[in-house]
Amino acid sequence: MTSGRIEELKKRRQREFKRKKNQIKYAVFCIIVAIIIYAFFLIHNVNYSILWLIGLLLGFVLQRSRFCFTASFRDPIMVGSTSLFKAVVVAFMISTVGFAIVQYNFIQGVQNISLNDIPGQIHPVGIHTALGAILFGIGMVVSGGCASGTLMRIGEGFLLQIVVLIGFIVGVLMGARHFEFWDKFIISQASTVYIPNYTGLPMATIIQVVVLILLYLLADWYDKKNSMMSM
Amino acid sequence: MQIYQKLFKKPWPYLMGGALLAILNIILFASTGEPWKITSGFLYWGAAILEFFGMDPGKWYYFSVYNNGLDSGETFLNNYYSVINLAVIMGALIAALLASEFKWKKIKNKRQLFFGLLGGILMGYGTRLSFGCNIGSYFSAIPSFSLHGWVFGIFMFIGAWIGSKVLFRYLL
Repeated sequence: MTSGRIEELKKRRQREFKRKKNQIKYAVFCIIVAIIIYAFFLIHNVNYSILWLIGLLLGFVLQRSRFCFTASFRDPIMVGSTSLFKAVVVAFMISTVGFAIVQYNFIQGVQNISLNDIPGQIHPVGIHTALGAILFGIGMVVSGGCASGTLMRIGEGFLLQIVVLIGFIVGVLMGARHFEFWDKFIISQASTVYIPNYTGLPMATIIQVVVLILLYLLADWYDKKNSMMSM
Repeated sequence: MQIYQKLFKKPWPYLMGGALLAILNIILFASTGEPWKITSGFLYWGAAILEFFGMDPGKWYYFSVYNNGLDSGETFLNNYYSVINLAVIMGALIAALLASEFKWKKIKNKRQLFFGLLGGILMGYGTRLSFGCNIGSYFSAIPSFSLHGWVFGIFMFIGAWIGSKVLFRYLL
C-alpha cells in the first residue's frame, strides 16, 4: 500500500468521524421539532401531550438500552443468555406494583364495579390467545423485531423495519377482517380472567411478584449453567 | 463531556432500560388511564389507507365489539396510537442521532425482504386473535393482572422457539 493511499484512507476516516459528529446538529433539530409538537398538544389536547412525551421517552430508552423483546426470548433459545429476559422480568416486578396501586386507587372510588371498568389491558383468555401468541412469536423472530422493536429500528434508520411495518399493517387488516369468524368460533366462548377477582388485589400483587422472583432465579440459574458449559 | 458520553453514547444496561420502561408505563397508565399499546394503531393506519381507496372498513364486525372502535373525537389517523407510535419512532431517532448512530441501513437481500414481510403479517394477524402485541398483550397485560398476558407470554416463547428453528434452517 502506498503512502498516498494510506493518507487518503486516513482522510476518509477523518471525514467519516466528522460526519458522525455532525449528527448532533440533527439531534438538536429533532428535539426542537419534538418540543414544538409537545407545545402544540399542550394547547390543543393535554392527553396527547402526555402520550407524546412518554412516547418520546419510551423510544429513547428502547434505543439507548437496546431493549429488544424478541432477543429476550430468542437469546435463551439460540445462545443460552438470559440477561435481557431477566431485565424484562424486573420490569414486570416494578410495573406489577405500580399498576396495582393505580387499579387499587380506581377501584376504591367506584361502587359495583364490573370487569370492563377496571383500567388496564384485561381481555378474554383462551385458545385464541395461544394461537395469536404463537403466530406473533414466529413472526417476531423471523422478521427480527417485535412491535416496539420495529418502531425503534425505523427511528434508527433500518429500511427492513419499514417493510415489517407494511407487513404488520397487512396482517392486522386481515386479522380484523376475519375477526367475526374467530369471535364466533372461539373468542365468544372464552372468559376474561382478572386474577384479583379470585384473590383480591393485594394478594394478587404479592403472588405475582413472588412468581416473578422465582422466574428471575430460574433464568439466572439457566444463564449460569449455560455460561459454565461453554467454558 | 464525560456525562454526555455515558448518557448518550454508550448503551445503557438492560436492567436500567427495563426499569425505566416499567416506570414510564406506570406513569402513562396513572396519568391517562391507559397503559402502553401499539398494534391497534397499525390497524387504524391500515383502515385509513382502505378508506382513502374508497372502502368502508369502519363497518367491519371487528369495530363493533370488545370496545375496538375509536373513542369519540378520534379518527383512524387522529388517535392515541398515532401519537404514541410516532413519538416512539421520534424518541429512538433522537437517541440515535445524539449517539451519532443514525444510518440508513439497506435491506440485504430478497430473502430478508421476504421474511420481514412474512414476519410482519404473522405478527399483525396474531395480534388480532390475542388482543395485542408484545406490549399490549404482554408488557402491559401481565401487570394488569389479566391471565391472557401470562398465556400470551408463554405461547410467544413457544412461537419464538419455532421461529428460531425456521431461522436456523432458512436464514443463517
